[in-house]
Amino acid sequence: MNAPAMMWMLLPLPILCGLACLACGSARAVMFTVRAGVLASALAAGVCVGVVHVGGPASAAGGWLYLDALSSFHLAVMMAVFSLASLCLPGHFRGEMRDGSFGPEQARRFGGLWFGALAAMTLVLVSNNIGIMWAGIEATTLVTAFLICTHRTPESVEAMWKYLIICSVGVAFAFMGTLLAGAAANGLDIPAPEALLWTRLRQEAPRLDPVLMRAAFIFLMVGYGTKAGLAPMHSWLPDAHSQAPAPVSALFSGFMLNTALYCVMRYLPLAGGASGHAGWSLRLLLFFGLASILIAASFIFLQNDLKRFLAYSSVEHLGIIAVGLGLGGLGTFAALLHTLNHSLCKVLAFCAAGRLGQMYGTHDMRKMAGALRAAPVWGGALSGALLVLIGAAPFAMFLSEFLILRAAAAGGSYWTMGLFLLGVGIVFMGALRHAVGLAWGEPVMEPEKERAGGADRVLVVVALGALLLLGLWIPGLLWRMIEDAVRIVEGAS
Amino acid sequence: MNAYIDIILLALIVSNLLLLGFSQIRSCINAVAFQGVALGALPLLAAAGGVSVWAALLGAFTIGLKGVIFPRLLLHAYREADVRHEVEPYIGFTASTLAGFAALAVSAWLCSRLSLFGGDLSSLAAPVSFFMVFVGLFVIVSRKKAISQILGYLVMDNGMYVFGVVMLREMPLLVDLAVLMDAFAAVFVMGVAVYHINREFDHMNVDQLDRLKG
Repeated sequence: MNAPAMMWMLLPLPILCGLACLACGSARAVMFTVRAGVLASALAAGVCVGVVHVGGPASAAGGWLYLDALSSFHLAVMMAVFSLASLCLPGHFRGEMRDGSFGPEQARRFGGLWFGALAAMTLVLVSNNIGIMWAGIEATTLVTAFLICTHRTPESVEAMWKYLIICSVGVAFAFMGTLLAGAAANGLDIPAPEALLWTRLRQEAPRLDPVLMRAAFIFLMVGYGTKAGLAPMHSWLPDAHSQAPAPVSALFSGFMLNTALYCVMRYLPLAGGASGHAGWSLRLLLFFGLASILIAASFIFLQNDLKRFLAYSSVEHLGIIAVGLGLGGLGTFAALLHTLNHSLCKVLAFCAAGRLGQMYGTHDMRKMAGALRAAPVWGGALSGALLVLIGAAPFAMFLSEFLILRAAAAGGSYWTMGLFLLGVGIVFMGALRHAVGLAWGEPVMEPEKERAGGADRVLVVVALGALLLLGLWIPGLLWRMIEDAVRIVEGAS
Repeated sequence: MNAYIDIILLALIVSNLLLLGFSQIRSCINAVAFQGVALGALPLLAAAGGVSVWAALLGAFTIGLKGVIFPRLLLHAYREADVRHEVEPYIGFTASTLAGFAALAVSAWLCSRLSLFGGDLSSLAAPVSFFMVFVGLFVIVSRKKAISQILGYLVMDNGMYVFGVVMLREMPLLVDLAVLMDAFAAVFVMGVAVYHINREFDHMNVDQLDRLKG
């Protein structure tokens, strides 16, 4: 099958699977459909990624669907996140299915929304039209809002409302930016059907109105930055992540934030081209990135709630990615590598946090001391993930953070280097005591017995193994994929 | 054509200033419904090369959603919630209206800086669009009721609609429809959220949603 035909499949497939979930008779059947559907979607996406890697950018539907190295890299990361998170779903809800708090009705709704989220994120990645790309981001907000309050409590409803309002308003700003970017191309005689196509705008980038494009980028940065959880627009994130069921948080941190940052990446060549590569758009990214790292670090240092800790860690890591993008060149390469590393690690961390939370009946990390001995699989997974997240060598995040530092040093951005090190250093100290406590601390509570199934073990081994491997060696295929994607962010055609 | 568009844009300015001064939620919903109907006329007046089927379709769709369905959904949520009828602002009505005038001045200044006055259909479109975005944002942050926040979101959305239809006449219909559908879904989801807030907390005042901290 050729690439355009496969691209047509990417959108209807998750929608059909979502409908299939709604028709399931039991929670167990929903879980099976979720796994099968995500596997099928991953296979379809894998073929598309392969075709783009070998044959270059592909488009379909009169140029409205478009996949290039940048979107196919993100597509691959997204499918990895969805596959791993779907692996841990049945285990996470097993207890709740048994005691009836996660019955067939909840399961059907959950499955439908799960695939709705997959469809919306896929729409963002395959859209060539920047208006439809925006619509996809707004759709992710609306679809995932009810995933937060899968279990309806006052806290989860509060978190859902904050998420809905802050993200909808933030993303509305991104729409204003999209319109301004369209207005920047107003005098260029672009025919109506191609008016908002990214490929067309990129061709015309040097002729776009620089003042309007600048205004557009500021709106876009604030708008998509809100959804990406960049500080100071991050206030919805810790609440939503801490109240959502763990696999949903894994999805949020693992890829939904990256979807929004992907949109910003799409506009970098446009803003750069319009301003003659003056670099102010990159400086804006650096500012938001460093602000996120430092603000997250100050909250992480004093945080004892495991899920809020991981949420702030996402703010920090999205900030690190933004800093890498802001540095350009090697920094962009490191940023994309960091995207992959962070996504893999966050899925593992949140799935482990969810299961340990169920066993201990709390998310207070001080009460989970000694989890490594009490629950070897999930305790080990969480301690390992925490070590990766704080950038301990030889894991993958050490490598990508090191590359960002090297890019900063090479560009002579010593202020960036200093502030980056300060933030990452604070996180290191704050998180290390928790990681050590979780692994070897004196037990405070006696948890329920750990029930880790085959899928759970596969998830832990695959994710931790990949994170270790990527720290030691980057396969040539991945290297070339990221290099191709970097060229697109830098403005090459 | 030009004069008609300007009349509609002026009506939108007035409706926003009134919205800031209204004390009853029902009046606010009516003001936003009026905006929806007014917006529906814009695609017809702005259509390049005469009224096309697509422009008529978009206009009808806009009036149906923004002028009829949204207000009905909101009125329903408001009646179900059984709350006090006042909007309960943090900032008084007079001060709100004055803030509205200030927002208008700021929008005009901003558009002159961005040289956005030069739209070939109406020089008012861009300033009115920014003005409505500011008013929407102001309503969201200055009112206590969750339903007022949905109204603020809708006003913001309406403002961007003005920009999209009048300034970017080449915007493909599919994009317009996708954006309208998103707005529909947003109002629907937010309406359901208000229902849940009301059930879990017995009120819909967002200033009392303060359980999650740190």
